[in-house]
Amino acid sequence: MSDAQPKRLTDIGPPHYQLFLPPIIKENYGKWKYHEILKPGVMVHYSENNEKLYTVRAGSPRLISTKKIRKYAELADKYCDGFLRFTSRHNVEFLLTKEENIEPLIAELEALGHPVGGTGNAISSIVHTQGWVHCHSAATDASGIVKSVMDELLPYFKTIELPAKIRVALACCLNMCGAVHCSDIAILGIHRRPPRVDKESLPKICEIPNLIASCPTAAIRPSQYQGKPSVEIDEDKCMFCANCYTVCPALPLNNPLNDGVSIWVGGKVSNARHEPMFSKLAIPFLPNNPPRWPEVTSAVKHIVELWLKNAKKHERIGEWIERIGWPKFFRLADIPFQKEHIDDFKHAGLSYKRSVHLTYM
Amino acid sequence: MPVEKKYETPLLDQLESGGWPSFVKEIKSAAEDNAMANDLLGLLEQSYQEKIGHWKHGGIVGVMGYGGGVIGRYTDLPEKYPAISHFHTMRINQPAGWFYTSEALRTLCDIWDAHGSGLTNMHGSTGDIIFLGTRTEELEPIFSKLTAAGFDLGGSGSDVRTPSCCCGKARCEWACYDTMGLTYYITNRYQDELHRPAFPYKMKFKMSGCPNDCVASVARADISIIGTWRDEIQVNQEEVRNYAKSGLDITKEIAMLCPGKCIEWNGNEIQIDNSNCRHCMHCINLMPKALAPGKDRGAAILVGSKAPIVEGALLSSVLVPFIKLEEPYDDLEIWELIENMWDIWCEEGKNRERIGEFIQRVGLGNFLDAVGLEPQPEMVAFPRDNPYVFYEEYFEEEEDQ
Amino acid sequence: MAVDLEKVKETMFKLIKDSAGMKKWKATDLHKACEELFGDEYDKRGVGKDAIKELVEEGKLVYTYFGGSYLELPHREGAAND
Repeated sequence: MSDAQPKRLTDIGPPHYQLFLPPIIKENYGKWKYHEILKPGVMVHYSENNEKLYTVRAGSPRLISTKKIRKYAELADKYCDGFLRFTSRHNVEFLLTKEENIEPLIAELEALGHPVGGTGNAISSIVHTQGWVHCHSAATDASGIVKSVMDELLPYFKTIELPAKIRVALACCLNMCGAVHCSDIAILGIHRRPPRVDKESLPKICEIPNLIASCPTAAIRPSQYQGKPSVEIDEDKCMFCANCYTVCPALPLNNPLNDGVSIWVGGKVSNARHEPMFSKLAIPFLPNNPPRWPEVTSAVKHIVELWLKNAKKHERIGEWIERIGWPKFFRLADIPFQKEHIDDFKHAGLSYKRSVHLTYM
Repeated sequence: MPVEKKYETPLLDQLESGGWPSFVKEIKSAAEDNAMANDLLGLLEQSYQEKIGHWKHGGIVGVMGYGGGVIGRYTDLPEKYPAISHFHTMRINQPAGWFYTSEALRTLCDIWDAHGSGLTNMHGSTGDIIFLGTRTEELEPIFSKLTAAGFDLGGSGSDVRTPSCCCGKARCEWACYDTMGLTYYITNRYQDELHRPAFPYKMKFKMSGCPNDCVASVARADISIIGTWRDEIQVNQEEVRNYAKSGLDITKEIAMLCPGKCIEWNGNEIQIDNSNCRHCMHCINLMPKALAPGKDRGAAILVGSKAPIVEGALLSSVLVPFIKLEEPYDDLEIWELIENMWDIWCEEGKNRERIGEFIQRVGLGNFLDAVGLEPQPEMVAFPRDNPYVFYEEYFEEEEDQ
Repeated sequence: MAVDLEKVKETMFKLIKDSAGMKKWKATDLHKACEELFGDEYDKRGVGKDAIKELVEEGKLVYTYFGGSYLELPHREGAAND
């Protein structure tokens, strides 16, 4: 760059959030009294001095262009004095003070292809990772599955009438950049072929002791290749976590014949009623079948509809399954129970059934 | 500058239809005048055809002086897709609570359009604004424009990751402390730890204003700060009656689902035995106009959650059952605790061992000793059910006895 | 008496340079090595932190990432992918 550089700034931290708060929020910060969900995707918050802040929430694919962000900015200028926010699940929220702006804004968002919904007892956007768009360790794509699943589940985004909320998340490998392990339904990319050792490049780019130490099951052993230190894999011990690949790029696990998707159910993070819990394995493997992953899409839809049909009011998926028991879940869902469902990692025994509290019908 | 279309994308094209917004449309829209986005389209179609990704590790790039904030990425097909031979991600520290003005968003777009792919994530899983795809030589110019506009990079690698929080007091009546204020403070207090990785592995902070935990801090933060209260739930009986009149079955939908079984409804008033309230939020969630968290508000601090890599997934567990989190934040005692935790973890932790795994390995009791906390029953779901206690001292018989 | 900043920088740089290609150093490893060499006089939060910051800002060391963040001698662009 030819133009003179100003003094290089570092460690300034993020901009102060107060710069971006609308006046109604600045005035009522910490003074909100209660809220109502007026309809799917529309909330109103009442303050102590009876001011009203309306929120219109719209779904987003997370991967968005600057053109779309500029469009959001344009809508914010037109309807909300330029103020908007995003949620932890990638939704965009417009913050309005004029009730009469709600419907025109919704009409413009829907016309733009961004459905309004995702509040209360509904499905919200799927939290997800990068997949084949940007990740080196992805066992599946993220955006494509999310798009396909949400196309199917859209009616449940635009409602507030489900038994409880449902949170779906997707991670394209076990690294779980999206930390999907406490979701009502988690879609998880998995590898099933042990790493192949690229013996030529390994000594150049990897530190072997570190690599050996990286394996949680001690499946990586030192060996020699052309007189130089190398490693070999004890394939029987590999559980496909890919931790070695993260530490050493010369041990790739990606493999089109063996990579695919697993489905996990019944997790939650909120403390409401039941304590937070992990998602549990429902379907060990479904194939990668782009562009629309029909097996994954129909499996997710099947579980959601089964829950809708059988859950009591306020029961999230995990609470419902805990009431009916896992055997009954597998029977109702018509999912074959197999060896992969039984834990064999640390503390596996804690997951064995240790009573005769069983159902037979 | 318009880009000539080069790629047929029959598989991706099938993801343009349907009711959910399409990421393919977003990439195509960027690709109209951005060569990087256009090459991404070609590469992604190839991945869809072959069912495998085409990205490589690239852990060496960054901006001068920082060890975090940029994720190096290169395609393994650079001859075929030259515009994305480099395709690095930049993580930009979001404003707390993800509030923006349209002007701030346009500033970010202007910077990114001039130097990158025009593609973003709003936002990444940890909370950062994600600029998706640029070249090494663009990193410094982008960084200089970002800092001039008041933005800085977020975390990556073995550092404090960008702290994030729910919208808290900005738009929620349940916020038991100022999540956005505390997040801003923590982010600034730990700027050095955020930009210059000095830990065994990543260290995430997430601040939730109440036990509903809208940012999932209990599942994905090494340090989870979850708002709660320790006095009585505030009750407006008139509004409770209104909820009942409008069809809410208070016995069935609230009292019977209360985990502490501490609510009774006599058709006119609800009685709450607050000493048995578990602060789960269910009753408050269902009747926001009638019930509210108490007035003596603060937070519980939990520690150690993480995704599976390496030793299995963990949820955070209680370290401090209740603490007031009020300004001035400088005077809070938790910083000394946190920094003590970091010291012992840096001293004894293994490479890629999160603090939760470290605690599992050394034992919570030993960890408490090391950081100077007394054991409390709130820290466990139940006391041990095995008799294998590691007693550290024993008596010797005196010689003359 | 505290350990001299230049002395710490020199020590850290030498540790990394002499073991390049054999051992990767994390910030915590450098602190541990310096604590051993300088004893109680070495303050990792003070002089230790400053030394790493200056070495990186001077371009003598760079941060790298291979499943964890390391400090290394500067690499050629994309060297990991050869």
